[in-house]
Amino acid sequence: MIELRGVRHRYDGRLVLNLDHFAVPAGALLAVVGHNGAGKSTLLRLLALLEAPTEGHVLWDGAPVSHRPPIALRRRVTLVEQRPILLRGTVLENIRFGLRARGVAETEAYKRTAEVAEQLGLLSLLERRRHELSDGEVQRVAVARALAVRPDVLLLDEPTSSADRAASGALYRALAQAQAMRPFAVCIASHQLEDAYRWADDIRALAEGRLSPVTPENLFRVELPAGTGETKHARVGTIDIAVTTDRTGPVVLAVPPTDIFVSLGALPSSARNVLAGRVTRIAAHRSSGGGGVAVTADVGVELVAVVTAEAARELALAPDVPVVFSFKASAVRVF
Amino acid sequence: MDFLAEGFRRALALLLSGDAEVFGIALLTLKIAVVATTVACGIGLPLGYFLATRRFWGRRAALTAVNTALAFPTVVVGLILYGLLSRHGPLGGLGWLYTWQAIVVGDVLLALPIAAALSAAAVQGVDPRVRRTAQTLGAGRWLTAWTVAREARFALAAVITAAFGQVVAEIGAAMMLGGNIRGSTRTLTTAVALYTSQGDFGLAVALGLFLIVIAIAVNVTLQMLQGKGGD
Repeated sequence: MIELRGVRHRYDGRLVLNLDHFAVPAGALLAVVGHNGAGKSTLLRLLALLEAPTEGHVLWDGAPVSHRPPIALRRRVTLVEQRPILLRGTVLENIRFGLRARGVAETEAYKRTAEVAEQLGLLSLLERRRHELSDGEVQRVAVARALAVRPDVLLLDEPTSSADRAASGALYRALAQAQAMRPFAVCIASHQLEDAYRWADDIRALAEGRLSPVTPENLFRVELPAGTGETKHARVGTIDIAVTTDRTGPVVLAVPPTDIFVSLGALPSSARNVLAGRVTRIAAHRSSGGGGVAVTADVGVELVAVVTAEAARELALAPDVPVVFSFKASAVRVF
Repeated sequence: MDFLAEGFRRALALLLSGDAEVFGIALLTLKIAVVATTVACGIGLPLGYFLATRRFWGRRAALTAVNTALAFPTVVVGLILYGLLSRHGPLGGLGWLYTWQAIVVGDVLLALPIAAALSAAAVQGVDPRVRRTAQTLGAGRWLTAWTVAREARFALAAVITAAFGQVVAEIGAAMMLGGNIRGSTRTLTTAVALYTSQGDFGLAVALGLFLIVIAIAVNVTLQMLQGKGGD
């Protein structure tokens, strides 16, 4: 549906996004994860057609989008910012803003407003103004007003950053309900991998404005020491990660979850990284194509390993079970 | 100090008696100020919004030019327009020299930079998320501008007040372009200058009081309008 090709985006000459290709297919459930400053918000603003890339092209259904996209095209995609702002007026007026802009008839506008307000638990807040709402409520109103305009692509930047667990659950349920009624693509930028795994079909990682070549878990920004040896040790939290590279200085390390061996005790092996800890979470790994289980363990830092459901059962993996994560120094990607 | 007290007594008497000349001058001043402010803000506010929100080649130079024009001496504007509007000038055919329309043109040129520069600053002060939010919810150019203007309403009201203040208190261009003709182009400021020079302090103070009353009335009205606009 919407794609970026050869995009290099700069602010004041500084390259903040460098993507050869990024696409949000129709009906996709896509999560973009990465550190703060990785370029997620910029990516969403380009996809929302709010900014034109400094270099490269935005395509919609294969056709290039001009620097001044026509309003009919802009109305097919809606962005909810990380810290959304409510416009002057009541919650009701905010939800109806996009409908008014489109000239939606009064009865239809009333129906849609009631629908999204109910889905997001906003019925009791409709007459309130922005200064009478909490950050979490503002975020829900922002999602509601975006859902009300029924976009083909909904872009959400950290939509649960101000929400508690219950509100976060309500938001994802509302999205699921809306998608059940009418298919549309959703692209969420998040740093919460758990949400991304539970919810998205496809997860992509951004680091330093580029798509990470591996799945997004286990990304660490580190400083690699100078030296000529082929194996270096990078300090990550309270642990050292051995990595085979000739790079030095600031880099991002990625440990592919499928390259981590999970065992209940230390095994003699060639792995240079052997880290003991306890399981903190077990979740289905949707983006691994079904059947995968994401095992998160605290081994000094949080690491995620992906194993088969069968292996998880045999090892009786569950929260608080002691485990050992092992991986080779050469398995660690550096970029 | 006696002349001041005498002036106030004379002013009160003129105001209470509804002196036709005084009220005529005040009404003409109000007419010129309202027309000039409307025209200046009608052009200046959209121009300010454009300068604040669009990125184009020469934008910085345009902003600098508008800001520089804020300090343009009123007599110079009067002089240039005098040259343009005089019988042999390129706009002489309009026959506007020494008419209230000529004063309006001069006042518009003086208030326009105020409206443009201050409204650009007001719009730049609005959280950029407001504009992005309106756009991403499908607002067109006008609804987006209106949404941003609603957020900047207090600052924009101050811009209109400042433009009106410039126009109503202006004397240099009014004197040169209007000629201070009794019953035709005599405004409160030119009349105050004339009657002061003639030693008629009572009339000058009365007209000065009118100016102050108009300024207070405009400010109170704008404040009341602002007060009605909640969040």
